[in-house]
This record gives sequence, C-alpha cells and structure tokens, in this order.
Amino acid sequence: MNLILKVWGFYARSAALRSIAPFIPVIALWAIVAESGMFPRVFFPGPAEVVSSFGSLVYKGILPEYLEDSVVRLAVGAAAGLALGIPLGVLVGLSSRAHAMLWPALLFFQAIGDIAWLPILLIWFGFGLTTVTFVIVYTVLFPVVLNTVLGVLSVPIVMHRAAQSLGASHLRIVWEVVLPGAMPNIITGVRNGLGYGWRALIAAEMIVGTSGIGFLMFDARRAGSVVEILLGMIVLGLLWYVVDDWVLVPIERVTVQRWGLVTRCG
Amino acid sequence: MRFGFLAPLVLLLVLWEGVVRAFDVSPRVFPGVEAVALAGLDSIRDGSLPRHVAGSFARVVVGTVLALVTAIPLGVAMGVSPAVSSFFTPLLRFFSVLAGIAWIPIATLWFGYGFGAITFVIFNAVFFVVTYNTLLGVASIPLPLRHAAAALGAGRWAMLTQVLLPGALPNIVTGIRTGLGFAWRGLIAAEMIATNVGLGYMLFLARDFYRTEVIVFGMIVIGVLWLLIDRLLLAPLERATIERWGMVRPA
Repeated sequence: MNLILKVWGFYARSAALRSIAPFIPVIALWAIVAESGMFPRVFFPGPAEVVSSFGSLVYKGILPEYLEDSVVRLAVGAAAGLALGIPLGVLVGLSSRAHAMLWPALLFFQAIGDIAWLPILLIWFGFGLTTVTFVIVYTVLFPVVLNTVLGVLSVPIVMHRAAQSLGASHLRIVWEVVLPGAMPNIITGVRNGLGYGWRALIAAEMIVGTSGIGFLMFDARRAGSVVEILLGMIVLGLLWYVVDDWVLVPIERVTVQRWGLVTRCG
Repeated sequence: MRFGFLAPLVLLLVLWEGVVRAFDVSPRVFPGVEAVALAGLDSIRDGSLPRHVAGSFARVVVGTVLALVTAIPLGVAMGVSPAVSSFFTPLLRFFSVLAGIAWIPIATLWFGYGFGAITFVIFNAVFFVVTYNTLLGVASIPLPLRHAAAALGAGRWAMLTQVLLPGALPNIVTGIRTGLGFAWRGLIAAEMIATNVGLGYMLFLARDFYRTEVIVFGMIVIGVLWLLIDRLLLAPLERATIERWGMVRPA
C-alpha cells in the first residue's frame, strides 16, 4: 500500500510523466488490436510499423522537409495575420464609425470560413504556395480581429478619460492603455486563430498539395499507405500539442494572471 | 434599427458590383452580382442547391448527435474522479488537437468516399472537443458542492442531474460551439475531397468549370448557413446557460 502511494505521489508530481503516461495504455491497446488481426493489417497497422516508417521517412529526409514546409507556412501566415489583425481590431474597437461599417462584414467573412475560399483561390493563384498562404492568413486574421475588438471594447471608458486628463496623447493611450487592456483577449484570439489556421493549413495542403504534412498524409492515402497516414496524424498531434502546451498556454496564463482576471481558487 | 447591420453588407454589394464594372473584371476571375444571383436562382430551380444543402446538413446532424450522445456521458464519467480526469486530460487534448480535418485521409480509407467518411470526420471533430470540455466542466465543480449534495442525501441520479450536469453545462455548451466550428470547416474540406453531394462538392465542382459565379454563391450560402447556426442556435444556447448559471466563479 505504501509503495503504491509512493509511486502515485511520484507520478502526480512529475508533470512530464503525467502527460506521457496516459498514452502508454493507448499504444498498448493499439498494438494488441493490431496484432489480434481483428482488422486487416493493411487498414490497421500497429505502432511498430509506424515507428519504422518514421525512421525511414526521417532517413530519406522527407519528413523533416515537409514538416519544415508546414511550420514555415503557418509561421509566415500567422505573422501576417497578426500584423494585419491587431491594428485592424484596435481601429474597429476604437472608432464607432469603423465598427458600424466593418463589424457585420467581419462577422460575415469569418462565417464563410477559410476552406470555402479554396476553390476560387485555386482559380486565381493556381495550385501553389500563394493559395495556401492566403488561406492561412485569412483564417488567422478573423479570430484575432474579432477578439481584439472585444478586448478594446472591454477597456472601461474611464481609463481613456483618466489617461487623457493626465495629458496622454492618442498614440500613447493606444500603446499604454488600450493594447495592454485588450491583451488577454488578443492572446485568446491568437490561440484560436492558430488553432483554426493549423487545421486550414492541413486541409489546404491536402487539396492543393505539393508538400507539407497534409500533403504527406493525402499522398499516403492515394498510395493506400495507412502507416504513413497514421504517422502524419501523430506528428501533427504532437507538434500542435507542444506548441499549444509550451508556448500558447503559458503566454495566456501569464497575461491573464498578470491582468488579474482570474481569481485563482483551490 | 434591428436591420441596421444590413447597411454595411449592402454597401459591400455596391462596392463589389462597382469594382467589377469599373475594372471590367473577367467573369472567370470574379463574377458580378447579377451573375451570382442568377447562378443562385438556377441552382434553386434545378434542385441542386437544396440537394447539396440537405446532404451537408444530414451529415452534420448525424455526426453531431452521435458525438453528443457519446461524449457527454463519457466526459461526466471521467470528470467525476479527479485522478481519472487528470489521467485522461492529456489524451483528450491530444485528440482534440487532431479533431476533424486530420482524420480525412484515414476516414476515407476506412469508410470509402461518401457519407460514412464525412460523418466520421464530423463525429470526431465534435466528440473529442465536447468530451474534453465536459470533463473540464465536471472537474471544475467545487468538491464542497458535491459533498454538500451527498450530505443532504442526494443519490447518484440526483447528483448527476442536479449537480454534475448543471455545473458542467456552460463548459459543455462552449465545447459544442467550438466542436461544431471545427466540424463545419471539416465538412467543407471533406466534401471537396470525398463525395459527390454537399456544399463543398458544389464549390469544387464549379472550380473544374471555372464557374466563379457558382463558387461565390456557394461561399455566400456557406457563410449565411453558419451565421444562422451560430446566431440562432449556438449563441442563444451559450448565453442562456451562462446567464442562467451566472458565470459562477466559486469564491
């Protein structure tokens, strides 16, 4: 009993172990089902095959190259989306005229959804990088804009007035009052935007497909190689998990706590 | 004033038509307003639009209902025990990250092109996100509340229906809204790849013939449908639960 408690205590304290351990039974179960031959092996390969295909794709250099392609596309698209989205959001949030003009259009274009743009983008730009980048920028842009607007609007008007009566210029109010005040919402927008952008990237790579993880998976599907599809899914899941867990969640936690929006309890 | 939001959209239409006329944009690049409206009328008259919309909706409804029916009980069951919920959290997060589009290749291999594969994509877009959020919701109910209910003699059923489900409801609703958002995008992507009926297919087919007016009309339909789903179904649901539960932050 004591031993169990000790093991449990160690388990509960180690964050790394806690996030890895749950996957062990899943992988074991997966291996057992695959070995049992319940499904044809071709449609349901085991973990060992996926690991060996990981090895061979890394060795051939395909996986690192595709991974780099996908990540660079997402990074470029996201950067462009943020560079456009945050200023636009501040503008729409601050000016009631801009708000009345643009808000319904923003909501509408957000509702159309990234992927629905693919067919017409393919006509405009053909199968290529421009199309994929456009889709990602579009996808990241709207959650960022909409959340920035919400954030800007959430800054109480008295704060503006206080800063103004203390002699702050417009630019300074934006920089020192509005932006910090809107920061928690902006971060949420960035996180949502990246989440959607990531999915849009995969879809675009599948449909437009010249390289990238989405293309790897869809190419494997054409060749009927379930192993490589599973490998692609695992790489995608791991990569995003790492980005979300190590980058986005800490940033969100820091800003939200720094701005004291959450009363931590228990 | 209720329809004040229409003014900017009307302006957008005028701007669109103006640009197309002024620069004499080729209809192969971007269609005029009239062409799109005619394409819309055509597709309603020959029954293709209702067919595609019905096809898409059937998939969304079947996939979502299946997912909700399984995800909510599972999430509640896992959320009840802190040890179990902290064990499953990383797994669920991993799978909600993959939710939707990433399953398209394997779903089409397992189920073939068609209804099964797309419904499966929608199912798991909703399933993992809702399970994860339900678990979070149940796990975030303060233990003293559950102890109080137990001390007052609540049985398992009363505990479930009067403490756990109501307490987790705001999270569940948020999960449904997020999950459906992913599912809707997944649907369009999957229909472009893997079927012969549905809105995504309608768009992709039109691309083959450079029929931009059909594409633009399809995009507008997709946008309007999602706005309707979101505004008439999801947002009121969310508002009702959050207001009803008063965004309770346990002090």
